[in-house]
Amino acid sequence: MAGKIIADTLEHSTAGSIATNYVVSGTAKAWVNFNGTGTVSIRESFSTSSITDGGTGVYTFNYATAMTDANYSSGGLCNYNNNGWGDIVLYANNASASPFTTTSMIFRTLEYASVFDAAHITPQILGDLA
Amino acid sequence: MQTPSFKGTHLFDRLCWAKENLDGVQSDYRVVYEDSVDECAKILVPDPNWMACALQGGILPPVWVYHALAKDEAQPDFKKHTRGYLLHETEPMPAMTEEEAIEYLIQKDCPEAVWKTYNEGNRLKMVICKKEQLPQTREWRNSWKISEDLQVAA
Repeated sequence: MAGKIIADTLEHSTAGSIATNYVVSGTAKAWVNFNGTGTVSIRESFSTSSITDGGTGVYTFNYATAMTDANYSSGGLCNYNNNGWGDIVLYANNASASPFTTTSMIFRTLEYASVFDAAHITPQILGDLA
Repeated sequence: MQTPSFKGTHLFDRLCWAKENLDGVQSDYRVVYEDSVDECAKILVPDPNWMACALQGGILPPVWVYHALAKDEAQPDFKKHTRGYLLHETEPMPAMTEEEAIEYLIQKDCPEAVWKTYNEGNRLKMVICKKEQLPQTREWRNSWKISEDLQVAA
C-alpha cells in the first residue's frame, strides 16, 4: 500500500472524536447490488465473489473474504414490483439451521410475504473479518 | 496496471485496492448445478469485481485456503476462525484466464459434493455455460433440470 496511518482515535476540530475501532468494526465487510429478475446480473459490489440464484426469490451471497465466525450481522433492501421496497429475510432449510456460514449467507426476497424476484436487491454484512 | 506486492497484506485491503484501481469484468459464463433432488437447478453468477481481481492476479488467495477454513468451520466445536492469517499471508494467485477463474470460483462457491463428482453417477450435476444459453423466464428455470443428454467434454 502507498501509506499507512496507525491511530487509535480520529478527532474532528469541532464534532468530537471517535476510536478507530468503531470504523473498523462498523464498516460493511461486503455488499452487492444486483438484478434478480431474468438472468441475475450484478451491478456493483465490494468483497463479493458470486451470487447463486437458487430459484424464485432465493439467493446465496458469497463473499470474497471470510468472517471470523457465523455470528455477524446482515441487512439490506429490495424493491417491490409495484412502488415501494420489499423485504430481505434470512433463509435456512429448518429452524435450527443457520443461514450464515463465514463465507456466505442465504436469503429470500419477499413481497407481501411471498417470494419474488426483485430488480434491485442490496444485501450487506457487518462484523469481524477472519 | 501492476499489482503491488500484496503477500502479507490483509485481503480486505487488497480488495479495497482492486475496487479503486480495477474496472469490473462482466463474465458471460454461468455455472448451473444441482445439489438437491428436491430443488431446481442453481445458477452461480460471477461477480465483476471479483473477476477483475482474478484476471489481474496477485490479489486473491489460493482456493485451498477457503477449503482449509471451511474444514475448520465444519468441526463441531468451531467457535471462531483461528487460521484467518491464511487468507492474508499465503502467496496470492497469479493472473488467471477467465476459464481458470471460473474453475476457481466453482471450487470456492459450489458445494464440494457437486464439483468433486459432477460427472460421476448416472447424470451430470454441473454444467458451465454462457449467459445467453440460460432460459430467461423464471417459470421455466424453476422447473429446469440439467439435460440428461449432455455429454461431458474431455
